Amino acid sequence: MGMAPHLENEEPIPRIGLRLAAWYAVVFVVTSIAIVLLTYRLLAASLEERDQQLVISTLREYSERYAEGGLRSLADAVEIEQRSGRRERMFVRVVRGTSETLFLSAPYAWSDFDVSRLRGLGGLEEILSESGTARLEVASAHLADGTLLQVGKSSENREALLARYRTVLAIISLVIVALALAGGVIVTRSTLQPIRQLIAAVRGIIRTGRIDARVPVREERDAIDELSALFNEMLDRITTLIRGMEHALDNVAHDLRTPMTRLRGVAERALQTDDVQAHREALVTSLEESERILAMLDTLMDISEAETGTMRLEVTAVPIAPLVGEVVELYENIAEDKRIDVSTDVETGLTVPADATRLRQALANLMDNAIKYTSSGGRVEIKARRDGILARIDVTDTGIGIAQHDLPRVWERLYRGDQSRTERGLGLGLSLVRAIVVAHGGAVDVSAEPGRGSTFTIRLPIDRPGPSITRM
Amino acid sequence: MVEDDATIADFVSKGLAEAGHAVDVARDGEQGVELALKGGYDAAIVDVMLPRLDGLALIDRIRARGVLTPVLILSARRTVDDRVKGLQAGGDDYLTKPFAFAELLARLQALIRRSTGQTEPTRLSLGSLSLDLLSRRAERDGRAIDLRPREYELLEYLLRNQGRVLTKTMILSHVWGYNFNPGTNVVDVLVSRLREKIDRDFEPKLLHTVRGVGYVLKAS
Repeated sequence: MGMAPHLENEEPIPRIGLRLAAWYAVVFVVTSIAIVLLTYRLLAASLEERDQQLVISTLREYSERYAEGGLRSLADAVEIEQRSGRRERMFVRVVRGTSETLFLSAPYAWSDFDVSRLRGLGGLEEILSESGTARLEVASAHLADGTLLQVGKSSENREALLARYRTVLAIISLVIVALALAGGVIVTRSTLQPIRQLIAAVRGIIRTGRIDARVPVREERDAIDELSALFNEMLDRITTLIRGMEHALDNVAHDLRTPMTRLRGVAERALQTDDVQAHREALVTSLEESERILAMLDTLMDISEAETGTMRLEVTAVPIAPLVGEVVELYENIAEDKRIDVSTDVETGLTVPADATRLRQALANLMDNAIKYTSSGGRVEIKARRDGILARIDVTDTGIGIAQHDLPRVWERLYRGDQSRTERGLGLGLSLVRAIVVAHGGAVDVSAEPGRGSTFTIRLPIDRPGPSITRM
Repeated sequence: MVEDDATIADFVSKGLAEAGHAVDVARDGEQGVELALKGGYDAAIVDVMLPRLDGLALIDRIRARGVLTPVLILSARRTVDDRVKGLQAGGDDYLTKPFAFAELLARLQALIRRSTGQTEPTRLSLGSLSLDLLSRRAERDGRAIDLRPREYELLEYLLRNQGRVLTKTMILSHVWGYNFNPGTNVVDVLVSRLREKIDRDFEPKLLHTVRGVGYVLKAS
């Protein structure tokens, strides 16, 4: 297996950050500018409307005055009003026929409007100044004597106001963009902060190999905190698994040292003699010993896998009766030789969800144990029945039993009670039974009386498949 | 044989030579492919962990080139790779290390038998001992021998592999289908029962114990 690629590359997070910040800024700026433009348009429209209303109301007023006092009265009114500054400066013209101007009042500055282009139609007319910077908006009315009264107003003032406003808006927009960028960066930073912490923690774990490091989890339970919490949970699981495996590896190494020592001893002793027969004996012993080591290794691996939850269980519905039958059949000859009476009592139709091979292995180990420690003329009975939501299998023998102080320890690896030391065996059988049963979500139990016999009990859930890989 | 461990390659090729087979050894995967492509082999023994090109890739490559030589795969892993299991469908077999040479030989010869399509006999015999596979009856020196089912299976297995040593593990897995070792040796007991029936009252003895290895059925 190669090393995981080093995460020194700082790229991904800044790129995400940049994108987030940019999006934030773009959305913020576009919205703000839209609001500003709308305001501007509303302002421009309302200013224009005000001017137009002013033109129209002035036209109405002047035409009434003309009707009352003629051209003279109109001229005086215009003169007085403009002098006093009571009214904004307006364009006032009285025309007879098509081109004979009877009266004209207009500021000098407005002289670049070509008023001759006014056609004197109803409603509002507009003419552009020669420089093109302002418009003259003119309303006309036909007077009683056939003359035409024109009142107008230049858009100059309005334009100047709007121009100032535009400058202000431009400055405001710049501020908005600056704010958007700053806001984007701040929002991104605070959003990505937990992710950065997560990355730092992971990187730290990879660099130092210390899997006990944890990611800080804040109080708010948002998605990122959940991710951090899940990550920590995953680390917890990995830690448990690794501890389990380290433990198992330690045990395997330790447990193999004894048979390896025996193997070595046999070979060494054989080398010190020239007797061919002794050499042959040593070779045979070595082969047997290596068989034992292999068997032991296999069993230890099985136990470790079952205990750490890495044992692969192919769970199917396993009927108990045929399984018990197979196991009994396997030991039939040995039981006969030892004149041990083997009987079974299995509830018909009893089925458990289990890995058939593993369950058979567990049962065979219990059977092996029972036959081994029961003397000639004894009895072994396998009973299986439903017990609530559990299937209960009892293997009872009339063997040597187990001393009270040994009872809790019989399931330990390589533990052998004083009375069992004379029998050949790995001392792993019961540990394997327990590991397999627990991996199936079940439990084991033992009761015994020295000299009278023992009962080993397996309880397995009937309805639910045993948790396998996920069990810790 | 493709195996990078010199000691294993050596003892296997010597053993196979004694059993009457000629063996070429390749030390890595690439070399193994070259040998296989030359053709003319009855079977190949391929280790999974090999330098330059691993065993499974080697098999893929020679199969892609149309080489159908049956392959016995050697694996040091106890839990067998699913890919290796898959290969079995193609007539190949696997063996996990450490293995007994006797088992390797037996499996190899079974592979060769299968690939050369030898017909199934209906009767097996050795000396005066014979077993009728159709009527499932055994006799020695013309006297019928009453066998229980497991004894029958063991005898058939021994007769099919006469002259070859069968290990206890092989017998356990062949006769009972058990792939693990129950502590007490049920194989020893079954063998001694079979020996009672086929050898006790007859000469010469046929069923021999090879100490430390297993059992063999042979005439002398």
